[in-house]
Amino acid sequence: MRWASDSRRAAYSCQHPDDPDGQAMDTAWFAKRPVTEVRPGDHGWLAYSGAEERDRVIGTFIEAGLRHEEKVVYVTDTPPERLPGMALRTSLDLCAYTGSGQLRVIPTQEACRGRNGAFEPGRLLDTLGREVDGTFGQGFRAARLTIDHSWVLAGRDGADLGPMLGCEQGFGDAVSPSTMAMAICQVSRRACSPGQLAALRATHEVLIEVDPEFDDGVLRIVRTFQPHGLRLAGELDAVRHARFTEELGRVARAHRRIHLDFAELGFIDLGGLTLLAEHATRLGGGRALVLDHLPPDVESVIEMVGWHRLPGLVRGRRRAPHAPGGGRP
Amino acid sequence: MSDSFTHRVLPYDGMDDYLAGALPFLREGAASGDRVLAVTPLASGLLLRDELGAAADAIEFHESASWYSHPARTLAGCLDMADAAEREGRRLRILGEPGWSGRPAPEVLEWQRTEALVNVAFAGTPTAILCPYARSLPAGVVASSRRTHPESVRGVSAVRNPGYLDPWTFSARCDGEPLPAPPPDAESMALDRPDLYWLRAYVGEFARRAGLLPAGDLQRLLVAVTEVVTNATRHGAPPMALTMWADPADGSVVCQVTDAGRWAPGAGHGLVPPRAAGAGPGRFGLWAVRLLCSAVQIRTGEQGTTVRLRLRPSAVPAGTAHPVDTA
Repeated sequence: MRWASDSRRAAYSCQHPDDPDGQAMDTAWFAKRPVTEVRPGDHGWLAYSGAEERDRVIGTFIEAGLRHEEKVVYVTDTPPERLPGMALRTSLDLCAYTGSGQLRVIPTQEACRGRNGAFEPGRLLDTLGREVDGTFGQGFRAARLTIDHSWVLAGRDGADLGPMLGCEQGFGDAVSPSTMAMAICQVSRRACSPGQLAALRATHEVLIEVDPEFDDGVLRIVRTFQPHGLRLAGELDAVRHARFTEELGRVARAHRRIHLDFAELGFIDLGGLTLLAEHATRLGGGRALVLDHLPPDVESVIEMVGWHRLPGLVRGRRRAPHAPGGGRP
Repeated sequence: MSDSFTHRVLPYDGMDDYLAGALPFLREGAASGDRVLAVTPLASGLLLRDELGAAADAIEFHESASWYSHPARTLAGCLDMADAAEREGRRLRILGEPGWSGRPAPEVLEWQRTEALVNVAFAGTPTAILCPYARSLPAGVVASSRRTHPESVRGVSAVRNPGYLDPWTFSARCDGEPLPAPPPDAESMALDRPDLYWLRAYVGEFARRAGLLPAGDLQRLLVAVTEVVTNATRHGAPPMALTMWADPADGSVVCQVTDAGRWAPGAGHGLVPPRAAGAGPGRFGLWAVRLLCSAVQIRTGEQGTTVRLRLRPSAVPAGTAHPVDTA
């Protein structure tokens, strides 16, 4: 494995005018991967909008590694038991894992800070390279790496991202060809500007997201956090109404506007549309259900039936004009 | 706005007759601030404009050919207008002259049924509808107009039509004839699995193989078939089957769903829309199916139930603009 440290690439090229901060919803040209399906060679990106999203993704990432004889390397100043998602996973004996070296929680000072405390990309790459190199020798099948960059970026709006981008580029070059290393680079959406987020995201090949709430091969329901709501892929019909209603009820508990991303929805039956309208009516208080990225053929059904007969449903963002089409999961 | 619903036929022999009935109707509407529509063949429209002079400015003119394009959609559109007018405290007034000539017999039948159902759909609204029928039309068309309109216009007054039939009775008579049998090369599959994913894959494959439908049309057909099969699964009796064929006469894809059950008398056939105003979403299954398909035919009886959906490929996506919400 080669850990190059100083290459740069044009960054802002992937921005969509409708999606300046690179919200995962619109980025059909990036591979999107549920965290459980992260595989060696993935240099993954997670821009989380809050603790819930981060805990669900990173918690699953850590647990999957620990349970499958993979080494988990986490560069952070947080102690193991307070790592994202660990509070709910009391069955994991974190002490045993740190003791055996399977879980490596490396403080930032040791992993990637210079003497003055500043972030040093080269040092981070060296540290991670060392950890990955030792994986097989220590008896592990693969290495999972993760780091939260938010602390580096926080409060540095407009600062030069160059070193950071170079670091990510080098990291990606090292991880992507690997058959045993996989990584998730995290950043809080609040830690930097939309432009910075988009630039950083562009140095990653895979967007990591929560595991689906439901997936039976015909319909997949995925929680979205930015915007708040659900993404549906596949086909929604009577057999799956109950399950969908359940998920809708869950996201409705937060008193926020609910967005449903339909970009990959291949089919919704009349009962499904009625169900949406009834749900929107129950929400009340002007809390409409926003239907984002409606495929044209699904929209033509709604228009034929009449938007006005489906009160509480509003059309949201249009589908990005050149994004690849949706389909079945 | 205490006017009650009226639906009158204006039988006429020549244009003098026509104008004698139509002009007072339109002028009265314009004078009382109604929303007035004149839906006529092009030539009659031009004639009416000439005669009305300045009063024509208050009247919306439409051509019959495009207006009377689809019974359920036209009815839905008119009802929406009636609701909108009522919200403004106005009356909707329509001079409506369906084009009868050149239509295949099943279409004529559906428009006659629509004439009858207008009496149900607009009941309780203050809408006024006047339908001119030329006496030169086929005798059956003229005769049916007296069964589907409660009143006729004679000179300046309206007289009751003694032959007027209860709209549902009239509608049931439209379904008296058995449906023609599917062609011998129709494809059939038994419906014995609750998951309709496979059914849609099959219907989609059939339509694609035959090169029949653009994506938007196919989606409408899939929604319609899913709805009908879902209904049959819930309320019908096995065995259920789907039969499909292409009708070379007009390029339609035809999907027929059969089951052994019989619909209860009075079960809705989706012929009249659930009222939109303030009623909330509610059920609109079969009504929506009628909007989505080119034609829907239903037969239910001792031998079981058949719902036949026809979808003619069209390049006319329906719909109106809707405010975009990007919040």
